[in-house]
Order: sequence, then structure tokens, then C-alpha cells
Amino acid sequence: MIKIQFYSLIRLLLKREQFELPTSDNENVGQLLQRLQQQIATPFLHKLLDEKGEPILGTIIMINRRNIHHLEKLETPIHDGDVIALFPPGAGG
Amino acid sequence: MSAAGRYSRQILHWGEERQQQLEAATVLIAGVGGLGATVSQLLTRAGIGKLYLIDDGLVNWPDLNRQTLYSETDIGQPKLAIAKQRLQQINSNVKIELLPKRIAHSFRPPADVSIIADCLDNYLSRFDLEAGLAAGSFLIHGGIEGDQGQVLTLQKGTSQSLADIFAGTRQPQGKIPVTGAGATILAGFMVNELFNTIFGQPQLLNRFLIVGLSDLHLTFLEV
Repeated sequence: MIKIQFYSLIRLLLKREQFELPTSDNENVGQLLQRLQQQIATPFLHKLLDEKGEPILGTIIMINRRNIHHLEKLETPIHDGDVIALFPPGAGG
Repeated sequence: MSAAGRYSRQILHWGEERQQQLEAATVLIAGVGGLGATVSQLLTRAGIGKLYLIDDGLVNWPDLNRQTLYSETDIGQPKLAIAKQRLQQINSNVKIELLPKRIAHSFRPPADVSIIADCLDNYLSRFDLEAGLAAGSFLIHGGIEGDQGQVLTLQKGTSQSLADIFAGTRQPQGKIPVTGAGATILAGFMVNELFNTIFGQPQLLNRFLIVGLSDLHLTFLEV
């Protein structure tokens, strides 16, 4: 299983803390997020990706505590047991 | 008033030894705005030994909803000068050093600083602040936007860097929405973590505390 955790405004939008999806062979994180949106039936990818499917850069996507920016971004492969975190941090001070 | 009397209510809570640790501690506060004004005030009230304050701003009307050190008569004045004046009125025992500058990549903190409060309002300055810290320093990061915010403690050299964690994150366009309640609550969490760090027991090391004020939720995110 893959665990996807929601934080801050993503959590408010989806009205849930996390969701679990069964592992799918040869799937990357971008594909996983598309599958997640279909499963939970609440549009949220517009908060993460632009019209071309590129990250909007307002939300951190982490896999097992690592920002996907340091991995293969949305093409980072997903493996059974991975924990994905979607977190839009507050920028002000 | 003796120190024992002045701090008697908090000494009842954390004891004499921790009060002495606090009075021997030095903290650098980067940014004396929504978060930093309250963080510096609470540390001063608690009897911190020494504060360094960094900011290059002037007090402006939109600051007054949340920047608890400033008032209408301070409009147009340098924040640091006003902050020092108010803080010394609150507690004249605290040493306060001013660093009136904008944080740039060349920034290096004073040699006696090992605990830093990131109360800044933009990612670039945060990354520049972090880059200049000595190995082993503790960075207590705070951020607020609307009714959502976070606090995180990192130790330079052993934790992931703030720049790595926030990699690719874009600074929002325009002014960031912030309320007085939101800034004050996040500042309170920061001060609590600063106390924990001074006492050698940081509770948010490599772990975000994420605060949602609209539905009143607190969650953790390990990094």
C-alpha cells in the first residue's frame, strides 16, 4: 500500500488527513496523484500542478521525507510502503 | 525586584536551574515583524540573557494588526530602534544587540550565537540565513500564511537543510495574508520550542508542527 498524507490547506480541501492506495506496478508519483484524484473524487491537482502538469511550486511533495525536487520530481518511482506527504507551507513571518 | 521574585511564576513551572540556563542563553531573532516582535517580547519577559535582532524595516500601518511591539506613534521609525526601546522597558536586564541589515548570502551570525529564530517573511532570506550558520547551530523556523502555519527545528550539519526541504517552493506573489491571532499563536509555539532548545530538549527537531487555525488542528510531519 501507498500512504498519502495531507497537510494544511490540502487537508482542509480534501477534508481528510490521509488516504491509502494499493501499489501499482511501474507507477511514478505524478501518476499516483492522478489515480488518487480519481479515487477520492475531489479535484485537488489544480492546487499542485499547472495546465501542463508541472508543479505549481506552492506545495511540497515529499516521498519518505525527501522533497521530490531532489529525486526525479513527478517521475519519481513509487514503491510499496512509500509515504507521500503533500504540504503547502506558510511563507510569511 | 529580585530575579527570583520577578520570574517566580515560571520558576514554579520549570525550576531555578532552567531559569539560570535561560539567563545564560543568547538567541538571534531574524526578522522583527509578525513573528519576531512577539518572539522577542516573550523571550525578554522570560529573562533571556541576550538577544540579537536583525531587521531593516520601518514601522508601517499594515504592521500594527500583528506586530506587537509597535504603535501608531512609531510609524516611519526603524523597527529595530523601537523594538529595543520597548523590550528594554519590559526587561532592562536583557542585553539587546541590533543588526540593522537585510539578510544576504554573505550573512554570518555573531560568534556567540547557536540558537536562531527564523521569523523572516520570505524563502530567499531564510535560505541565506541558514547558509551562514555554524555547524551544530539550531534553527527554529516559523512560517504563517492566512490561518495556516508551521514551526520546525533543524540542526545545521545533521538535519536536512531548510533549502532542501523547501526546494522548488515559490514565494507567493504580493502581500501575504496574516492575522494578529495567527502570527501570535505561531510565535507562541516558536517561543515554546526556543525554550525547549535552550533547555537541551527540542521537541520539533526534524519534525514540523503544522498548525491549522480555521479547523483548529495540529499535526506533525517528519523531515
